[in-house]
Amino acid sequence: MHIADGILSTDVCVAAGAAAGGALALSWRNLAATARLRTVPLTGMMASLVFAAQMVNFPLFGLPASGHILGGLLAAVMLGPWAGCLALALVLFVQMALFSDGGWLAYGANVLNMGVVGSLGGYVVYASIRRFVGGPRGVLVGSVIAAWVSVLAGASLFCIEFAASHLADGFNMPRVFLLMAAYHSLIGVGEALITGMIVSCVLTQRPELIYAPDDSSASWLGAGRFAGAGLVLALAVAAFLAPFASDAADGLETVAQAAQFDQLAQESSGLNPFGYSVPLPWSGDRAGFWSKASISLAGVLGTLVVFVMAHLFARLFAKPRGAAAEGNHVA
Amino acid sequence: MSPEFLDRFSRGNTICHRLPVRLKIVLTLAAILAAALIPISAWPVHGCLACVLFAAHSVAEIPVAYLVRRVGFVMPLVCGLAFAVPLGDGLANALPAAAAIAVRSVLSLLAGLWLVNVTPFDRLLAGLQRCGMPRGIAAMLAFMYRYTFVVFDELAKMRAARRARTFSSRGAWREWSAAAQLLGRLLIRSLDRAERIHSAMCARGWDGRIRALE
Repeated sequence: MHIADGILSTDVCVAAGAAAGGALALSWRNLAATARLRTVPLTGMMASLVFAAQMVNFPLFGLPASGHILGGLLAAVMLGPWAGCLALALVLFVQMALFSDGGWLAYGANVLNMGVVGSLGGYVVYASIRRFVGGPRGVLVGSVIAAWVSVLAGASLFCIEFAASHLADGFNMPRVFLLMAAYHSLIGVGEALITGMIVSCVLTQRPELIYAPDDSSASWLGAGRFAGAGLVLALAVAAFLAPFASDAADGLETVAQAAQFDQLAQESSGLNPFGYSVPLPWSGDRAGFWSKASISLAGVLGTLVVFVMAHLFARLFAKPRGAAAEGNHVA
Repeated sequence: MSPEFLDRFSRGNTICHRLPVRLKIVLTLAAILAAALIPISAWPVHGCLACVLFAAHSVAEIPVAYLVRRVGFVMPLVCGLAFAVPLGDGLANALPAAAAIAVRSVLSLLAGLWLVNVTPFDRLLAGLQRCGMPRGIAAMLAFMYRYTFVVFDELAKMRAARRARTFSSRGAWREWSAAAQLLGRLLIRSLDRAERIHSAMCARGWDGRIRALE
């Protein structure tokens, strides 16, 4: 999900950089209000931890590939939204500078998609859920759902940035959305699962390490929380509705293609084995509607899976295990 | 983890390594901006830029095999985006846009690789700080860079311990929960370590500033 240079246009990079810079400055100022001296070692350590955690591979069921955690929401749950956002920005900086993972110009966009949406955006969803579901159960349910939503929202934001960069190039935007939504609903389920497992591990062993907002920051979160959560949710939902909403654009394209149909048809049959559609397994003659419908179905299924997962986590792990937990962390 | 893993060639002693840090940062950003802003129809300029970058890498004695490996590591994703998406509209229409994405990515990647391989990370941070990076961010980055090695070593130890006690894989689900518990423990240990370090720093008069020896 790291954007390399050249993928986004320069003005989009500058705009995203300004937004990300503003969010980082806001995070830094809000941290300054609490305890800035303590922040430096804690945030730095969290950043190294997220960096290391991204090296731990999780085998994908039945596939010869493996995935890893993104960690934005995990950092926010442990350290709070502001420090979590900063930690992700640090991780992205080191990955950019030392591993050339993500470009220098696109750094702002990367921070926006993964740090700001992943930590700040994920945290408002998490905090909203915690308001309704209290206790350790709320922590688990909130982090599982918020992890999934934040991954999708980040992917959706990338699509918007990509679309804004290549308006003139005639790229097929609905298809970008389609691919990103399909892949990231899967990635998001993995992220939710891993985040839930790690948080439940911390909850049973050292529950006091989980970030609990004090009263001074609660006022901001109380006022803007639901608006922020709504925005993030809207972004996530956009990933699934975009293929339908862009039917008008598709229509325009069809007209344009019909106008010069012969020429295009020859080219595509000669050079492009896939014809006009993404090679989805179900693509037949009337693949258009069904491929869109199946993406949205995947969204609904993914949502169901995540909610079932959240419920199971709450059932299985949220029980108090006082004595066992006390004994564990001495060792 | 060996310290050479992250920035391998940054401690050499060529003319590139001896240039002032801020000059190197400005040169790199200029190269990246040029690659991004010059339209792809002026492709000879991109060719010249590529030649200059290759010359800079060879002066800095960075092996070509390393560059190829690094570029090859990033390219599949870039090419995936550059080619898979516009293919739906026919290859001839999509080719210029796709080529622009690919060329710009490779050039920016080469420029970025040059910067980190001729500048040690602590010097890079000092330079960035003098270019206007906030002091607190630089302090956190320095802390993160220092303790990344510690956390990686701890992770390697925990994985070795786990491997020594696990004789066969018992399905993907077990592996997931084992890896998640590993990360959970690592998280707890790292945060405890950060608290200990913070106390030690405060005991030595930590006032929020990292002091570097020039």
